Amino acid sequence: MSTAIDTASGAASSSKPDQQNGQNGQNGGREDTGGFKLKFCTVCASNQNRSMEGHLRLSLANYPVISFGTGSLVRLPGPSITQPNVYKFNETSYDSIYKELEAKDPRLYKANGLLNMLGRNRQVKWGPERWQDWQIGMPRATGKHKDDKGADGMESGVADVVITCEERCWDAVVDDLLNRGSPLNRPVHVINIDIKDNHEEASVGGRAIVDLADSLNKIAAEEREKVGASAFDSGSVGARSGFDERVPDVLAEWQERWPNLPATWTLAWF
Amino acid sequence: MSEKFKQLAAARKTAFENPSYFRQIVQGILPITPPSIPVELRRWAADFIAEALACPALRTADKESLTVMTIDAVRSLLEAPDQDPLILKGGIMAAASAYPVIVKWIISNSYHKPAWETMSAIKAKILSVWDGAPTPVKLCCIKFVQRVILAQTASNGSEPKHSGLDVNLNIIPPNHDLLDSRLLEAEAIGLLDRMLGGLQDHSSDPLIVDATLNTLAILVRSRPATSSRIINAITNFNPLKLANSPMTLKNKIIIKSMIKTALMLLGNLARRDPHGPLTPRITQAHERLTRARTELLEEASRKRALPVEAVTSPGDAKRQKTEAAAPQPPLKIQPLAPGPHTLAEVFSLTNNAGLQAFDVTNVPAPLTARIAVKTLGSIDQGQLDLAINGVRDRLAALYAAAPAVVPAPVPVSGTTTAQQAAVNPETAPLGVEEDDDAYEPDFYAAEDTEQILNKLDNAPPEVPPEQNAEPDSTLGLGPFRLPPPPVLNPESAARVSQVTAMRIFGPLSGLEDPLVKKQKTGLNRLAANSHDRDSWLTLITRLATRSTVGLNDGIKTEADATALGRPQMSLSNLIREMLFNYVLEDWRRRIDVAIAWCNEEWYNDKVAEREGLGAPRNYERCALRLMDGFLSYTTGQDKGITRFLSEVPQLSRELLSRVKTLCSDPATVHLAMTSLLYVVMFKPPAREMALDTVYEIWLEYEDARPLAEKYLHKWRPGFADAHASPDNGVGGNGSQAVTA
Repeated sequence: MSTAIDTASGAASSSKPDQQNGQNGQNGGREDTGGFKLKFCTVCASNQNRSMEGHLRLSLANYPVISFGTGSLVRLPGPSITQPNVYKFNETSYDSIYKELEAKDPRLYKANGLLNMLGRNRQVKWGPERWQDWQIGMPRATGKHKDDKGADGMESGVADVVITCEERCWDAVVDDLLNRGSPLNRPVHVINIDIKDNHEEASVGGRAIVDLADSLNKIAAEEREKVGASAFDSGSVGARSGFDERVPDVLAEWQERWPNLPATWTLAWF
Repeated sequence: MSEKFKQLAAARKTAFENPSYFRQIVQGILPITPPSIPVELRRWAADFIAEALACPALRTADKESLTVMTIDAVRSLLEAPDQDPLILKGGIMAAASAYPVIVKWIISNSYHKPAWETMSAIKAKILSVWDGAPTPVKLCCIKFVQRVILAQTASNGSEPKHSGLDVNLNIIPPNHDLLDSRLLEAEAIGLLDRMLGGLQDHSSDPLIVDATLNTLAILVRSRPATSSRIINAITNFNPLKLANSPMTLKNKIIIKSMIKTALMLLGNLARRDPHGPLTPRITQAHERLTRARTELLEEASRKRALPVEAVTSPGDAKRQKTEAAAPQPPLKIQPLAPGPHTLAEVFSLTNNAGLQAFDVTNVPAPLTARIAVKTLGSIDQGQLDLAINGVRDRLAALYAAAPAVVPAPVPVSGTTTAQQAAVNPETAPLGVEEDDDAYEPDFYAAEDTEQILNKLDNAPPEVPPEQNAEPDSTLGLGPFRLPPPPVLNPESAARVSQVTAMRIFGPLSGLEDPLVKKQKTGLNRLAANSHDRDSWLTLITRLATRSTVGLNDGIKTEADATALGRPQMSLSNLIREMLFNYVLEDWRRRIDVAIAWCNEEWYNDKVAEREGLGAPRNYERCALRLMDGFLSYTTGQDKGITRFLSEVPQLSRELLSRVKTLCSDPATVHLAMTSLLYVVMFKPPAREMALDTVYEIWLEYEDARPLAEKYLHKWRPGFADAHASPDNGVGGNGSQAVTA
């Protein structure tokens, strides 16, 4: 709890997203009550803004979480639209990007919120990762990502739910999973939430992601609680509905609460 | 129990930190797989075995030994009597990972019959629970079946290696003790049909549909024996069955999910094999689903249909009202109660106490007038008649109720109350219908319309007739007079006339040159016979030269005298000034304007001379000024000077002497000499004058001397004799002057 708030307010300076992170620290950085935890994965284009907002908030809510980008390169706004700052996935750390931009033009990158965002990100994990390069199922207990926020519980390198932040990313994820041929035989719910790529929307989307995660985790935990008495008494497995079946219901309820973030969902395989 | 889970979690973490520990740890948890162990522990074990068997960090050999080691435990998990769905899920996932590994292992270890038997038992068990299992378990069954199909059909080698996906019928030797290729393939095809049947049977269960569709991509692209069947199934798959049920949010999400997943699969297949034999059918199916999705989304975004009663009922608020409005209830005017009344009360038609108390005089008069006009414009004639009659009846009743004797000095017919005295004495009685025969007007009869009209005609027009009677006549409007204009002094008059003159030149820029070059008519032309630039310029030049001749010349001299040497611009001179500027703006093209102007000036001077007007002569002044203007811009190629000199009506020595200055520039010497030669040749009256000028040039400008000498030799016979030798006479003086 205390580290969570420290992190959020430590990254916070004057920018909006970080202020909202600070708020999140109060309602999202909650006490870990233990119990069953679904494993999440957030995905956006550059693994910088939306997926990282979701990553931070899910980790503050004590969920195991990892995050990726589906773009070919990490692209950040530069001094003009034709001069973006481009970095390689998996090889560049948030810290090095932060330092580079700070050296280039501290005023510009502070004003457009990049430094605040990177400042937050470097507190969350080592560096941006590319979805297509991710070796699904490779243990993450070691390596440069072992100290990422939300790494606790992600040792096996798989997730139960993948949340993308843009239809394009959802398409990329599902298409990539089809290409991989699902060698792990593990079901995964891939859910897209359309979030616009700016700090404000990312913050709203982050809250929506945590809300969805809570709702999903609740039904997953309920599935697990149906042990013993009821399970044994019913004597038949068909009488109960499990987590997977209830995902569409939960999603519909969630969509009612967040009508401005259109959702797409499928059940795919790792 | 929680202590135990902590230990297990720690062990699990160790395995993922170092995959080489998997074997040991899996071995350690095998004792918690039998049915006698609490369900939570068995769930954990099933999950962990599934994770271990799927872990890509393990080498193939390690995975084989791990798999062989665990399949008995998997079987026991699956066959436990309680059939816990989560254990089944984990167990089936583990079995799906184990199946290709065991097949591959058995191929090279055919002696190990028990392992294959265990695997076969697991397969049988899974296939038996498949149909009746809860959906989450069913999903895993589908995935297991997919792995069986992958392992038991022939590959085209396009799948990734080292992931277990490459195990296929081709690697099974034809005469294997345990594995019969033909039987295995037949089984696989049977299972595929059963699996694809799910797309039809459960077409409204998104989990089954999505899970099935998401397993098909690798089958289509790497197992040719399955491709055609799968594409058939997808083509026949209709995700829109649910669309007929109410479109709840959940249904929308489900339908969208199934269509989108199918589209992703078809798109992936078409992209990976753009020229394959099945691609046209794949594209076709893709298009069909895209269309279905568009229709569905359009339907959802469309607005609600208009309810039938809203169509049939005419009371639609948004519809334009075409029928006449319901007739208003006829106005009811209460007769006045007996007793004295104010005039306001007589005319008050409303029963609303608040409105009656409203003092209309608070409203500004112009506003009242506007309201009155608007109201009168739209008021219903019948209602107005009713109101007028009502007021008339009231007044009649009041008259009737009035005592017969009235005070004599009041010139009001038949009113006794002070209030009624305020009624306009001339008009109020007019409307009174004298239904009471006993009543006799005492002093004079009320005027008839004719009389009133006469009176109105005689009234001063500015004063409204009703205000005539007002005691305070200061309220009446007096005759309105415009404030006197400011006194026009000469400066402002000059300024204004300058603006006027400028406006004369305004149209020039917009006017066209005449399309057909007309014959020049010179002074005889009419100024305004057509509206083109030419005629407008003629008008301007004549305005400048003729308009005020003899009118203000006397004044002008007077003004010249009083203005302390500052010349007062007359209108003509103003226009001349502007005409001069106009010509000089582009003098090469406007040289004809200049010539026309000079002609007009000359003509005007002559006319003025003949009439004896004593007006100042302008021609010489203008021509010189124009010449000076041209010369400062002249280059050697400007034939305009020659033309000007030859076409102006009168040449003077002074004008020709201006030409001399051209000779100071070697570039324009030729031009000056040619112009003078032209005058000498074609203007005999000016010949001598021009030759004198040439002579002067010969004297003054050394550059021009050879040419001047040549002309003088030719045209002035005496010149040759006088200047035969260069060292005598004027020539000697000239050269001295030049050399000095």
